[in-house]
Amino acid sequence: MSDSLLAAFCFVLTVGLYYANKRIYNRNLRVILMPLLVTPAILIAIVLLAGIPYQDYMADTHWLMWLLGPTTIAFALPIYDNRAMVRKHWLSISAGVIAAVITSVVSSVMLARWLGLSVMLQKGLAVRSVTTPFAIEAAKSLGGPADLAAVFVVITGVLGMAIGETVLACLPMIRSRLAHGAIFGAAAHGAGTAKARQIGEVQGVVASLVMMTAGLISVLAAPLIGRLFF
Amino acid sequence: MTLGLPIMSSSITSATYLAPAPASPLWQRARQFSSATLQVVALSALWLLAAWMQARWHVPIPASLLGLLLLAALLFAGVVKTGWIRQGANWLLGEMLLFFVPAVLAVVNHPELLHSQGWRVCTVIGLSTVAVMVVTAFVVDQVYRVELMLARRRSNRHV
Repeated sequence: MSDSLLAAFCFVLTVGLYYANKRIYNRNLRVILMPLLVTPAILIAIVLLAGIPYQDYMADTHWLMWLLGPTTIAFALPIYDNRAMVRKHWLSISAGVIAAVITSVVSSVMLARWLGLSVMLQKGLAVRSVTTPFAIEAAKSLGGPADLAAVFVVITGVLGMAIGETVLACLPMIRSRLAHGAIFGAAAHGAGTAKARQIGEVQGVVASLVMMTAGLISVLAAPLIGRLFF
Repeated sequence: MTLGLPIMSSSITSATYLAPAPASPLWQRARQFSSATLQVVALSALWLLAAWMQARWHVPIPASLLGLLLLAALLFAGVVKTGWIRQGANWLLGEMLLFFVPAVLAVVNHPELLHSQGWRVCTVIGLSTVAVMVVTAFVVDQVYRVELMLARRRSNRHV
């Protein structure tokens, strides 16, 4: 197979698998079937087993990643749509976001150091709890591995979605819907937001606002994080 | 090119897409499809503009963020109407995971992650995720109570 044909094949395979996976997941909402988890897992298996070089895989599929730029810009719309919620709860949302970003960066870097992981991995882990386009941007500005940051973001999202309700069950004194939604947006970005929306409307909106603000703050704070920790 | 599904879904807002007056379903779907495509192209153009501005004037924030602030400003100023971009934005936000899949494939370039370091990375992510959740829950809950108190005081003053 020629290189360009292989690249086109990888592109079609990626898009096809994603939509098939999404269809199955929408009928059967289980964490284990999430498109975020299953599609990359199958693709990694195919790429490794068939021995497809990474460059060939990326030749056409990097256009999908290119769309993350316009996607970041599109976040302006939900912010505008939820401006009433922002006006009402800007104080608790921003306080929660700042606390979440600090906790996430400090705990990730400290734990990674304690377990003896390399500086590159520490940088990748530092930005993992925000949504992808922002995480990649923040990792770049930290001088960290943008590709690995994306992998860590995925693991974080799946994990956060799976354990969120258990964590809340362990904290019975936290009763406000605002706090319940915020933990999903703060710890598990888009995947968490989807989960929060299953729990309730308010929780879903709060989660998405917290997710977006956390992304913005992480990108803006990245130079500072770099100076403080690395 | 990548617009596989003409039916829009958003993972971010629950704002529903307002369908035009029912015409023939096929015609309607074709129209939705083409206007969504056009809006995605417009958002991409805005991104390119933001990237150009960022490089031209050495703006210290990333191009994607600059574009977001630009679009938010245009929306709040009423220059851009939400209807002009809603379908395109909802499609981009709804299919965000797809754009992200190729990035995850980078793991094949780092075999050490799959073998020796995998469990340590997962330990960091697991513990840190729980820490973020607990801290966020307490902070938001406390500040929310302060918000309620302030709101009550404000309404008492009016009475």
